[in-house]
Amino acid sequence: MSLTAFIGAMELGLVYSLLAYGTFISFRILKVADLTVDGSFVLGAAVSAMLTFEGMPFAGILAALIAGAIAGIITALLQTKMGIQPILAGILTMTGLYSINLMVMGGKANIPLLNKTNIFTYAENLGGRAYKIIILAVIIAVVFIILNWFFRTLLGLSIRATGDNEDMCRASSINTDSVKIVGFALSNSIVALSGALVAQMQQSADVNMGSGMVVISFASLIIGSVIIKNKNITMGLLSVVIGSIIYRLIIALILTTNFPPSYLKLISAIVVITALSVPNLKRSMEISRMGRGKNNAKNQLS
Amino acid sequence: MLRINSVNKTFNKDSLDEQVALNNVNLRVTEGEFVTIIGGNGAGKSTLFNAISGSMLCDSGEIILGDTDITYIPEHQRASFIGRIFQDPMKGTAPNMTVGENLIIAYMRSINRNILGVPSKKEKNYIRERLSSLNLGLENRMGTKIGLLSGGQRQAVTLVMATLVKPKLLLLDEHTAALDPASAKTVTELTKKIVAENNITTLMITHNISSALDLGTRTIMMDSGSIMMDLKGEERKKATVQSLLSKFS
Repeated sequence: MSLTAFIGAMELGLVYSLLAYGTFISFRILKVADLTVDGSFVLGAAVSAMLTFEGMPFAGILAALIAGAIAGIITALLQTKMGIQPILAGILTMTGLYSINLMVMGGKANIPLLNKTNIFTYAENLGGRAYKIIILAVIIAVVFIILNWFFRTLLGLSIRATGDNEDMCRASSINTDSVKIVGFALSNSIVALSGALVAQMQQSADVNMGSGMVVISFASLIIGSVIIKNKNITMGLLSVVIGSIIYRLIIALILTTNFPPSYLKLISAIVVITALSVPNLKRSMEISRMGRGKNNAKNQLS
Repeated sequence: MLRINSVNKTFNKDSLDEQVALNNVNLRVTEGEFVTIIGGNGAGKSTLFNAISGSMLCDSGEIILGDTDITYIPEHQRASFIGRIFQDPMKGTAPNMTVGENLIIAYMRSINRNILGVPSKKEKNYIRERLSSLNLGLENRMGTKIGLLSGGQRQAVTLVMATLVKPKLLLLDEHTAALDPASAKTVTELTKKIVAENNITTLMITHNISSALDLGTRTIMMDSGSIMMDLKGEERKKATVQSLLSKFS
């Protein structure tokens, strides 16, 4: 792998680890596969691209955080107050967001940002070729510190408990609906931040850039949890970043071969399927092996 | 302390499956009283608890705790002053969180702390102290995921969670029924101790008639949604398991 490819993979790994933080909150903590992500990622990118185009890259990042939070709140309201199944609630918001995203982008499917000042431009003279990595690392460090603190506060603990045992929460006077709303808002806000940074880093936003984001982030989560088994919150948050970087390095390695890049999403899907199904397959294989052993013993007796 | 005035609840009203769960229930419990509740399956004991804790709203009547009419207050708000422990030890704790984290949630919730607050060292020490008063050695396992504890240990922790901050009312819904006899005995003893030390007004459902007479200060028997017997004082002292069993229809 060339140095350029390695730096590229590191950049993507870092910027998409924010996306993975979002799904870490919804999938690992609230235990809901939130498909809003595919839409809120683009929403963040679209908002950030439009404001960057107007020369306000920092405002773009801030606005993306807020827009993402609103998207999350809508999904959470559909789930809690309107009683729509969690998965369907995510799909509905995601579908609706497609139109919203196009609207934000002024009806255009693609916003090019070439030669526009973005937050990375300010650091071009810093750290040579790795300047984007430095900025991303700082942003991720800040998000990591905030989340690591947040999930130890009463509200953070309540969010974790809601995903773990809703009955217990109601008995401990936790309003699980409100807690879910906060959780999904936070999750999608970070996802939108990821989209916002991707748009400025790659100097364009595309209305279709969100497709498959859920699966990519799951792949990162799973790789991370294989590498760091300890499940306390600090290690969990750390494993997400490591998982995301390794995922991008694997993709970069695949791209150095003659493998057609169009298969990448299929590979991501297969990685996730394998990781999710292996524990179950292992168990059923063990049971059938034990069963066979018993039958053999019986046959020998007779 | 607790006043239940003419509470009624009917399930599946106006259908073939209509079932009267609570039929004009009236109950007055004074401060510090420990009432044990017995009665056959379907007598309305758990329905009464659901009505008091707010997981179900009554059709008519009112429930007053202290000076507050709580008849229509949502469940999660009532939970800040009513502690409830269920039969299933899995229900009262978050299995993937540590013993310490579970207790911290219970503690900070009931003192209405700032939602972005983290517990102070002093508060953590207080929680550890309360846990060590169980004499189960759990204070050394604050960092263990609670799902790894046995049912009896989980139920003991739940008991501490419900009483870390003294609740106005403690509801125990057959909280030892799913435990093995030894653990059930331990949890029963702990219940007795914690309730007495903190003088907590308590209602306890049990199917064990001897512990219904042994624990607490008053025993009521329910049948078909009504209270059919209310024993306290001398009358209760004279009652035996046999005399109560004969009342079971």
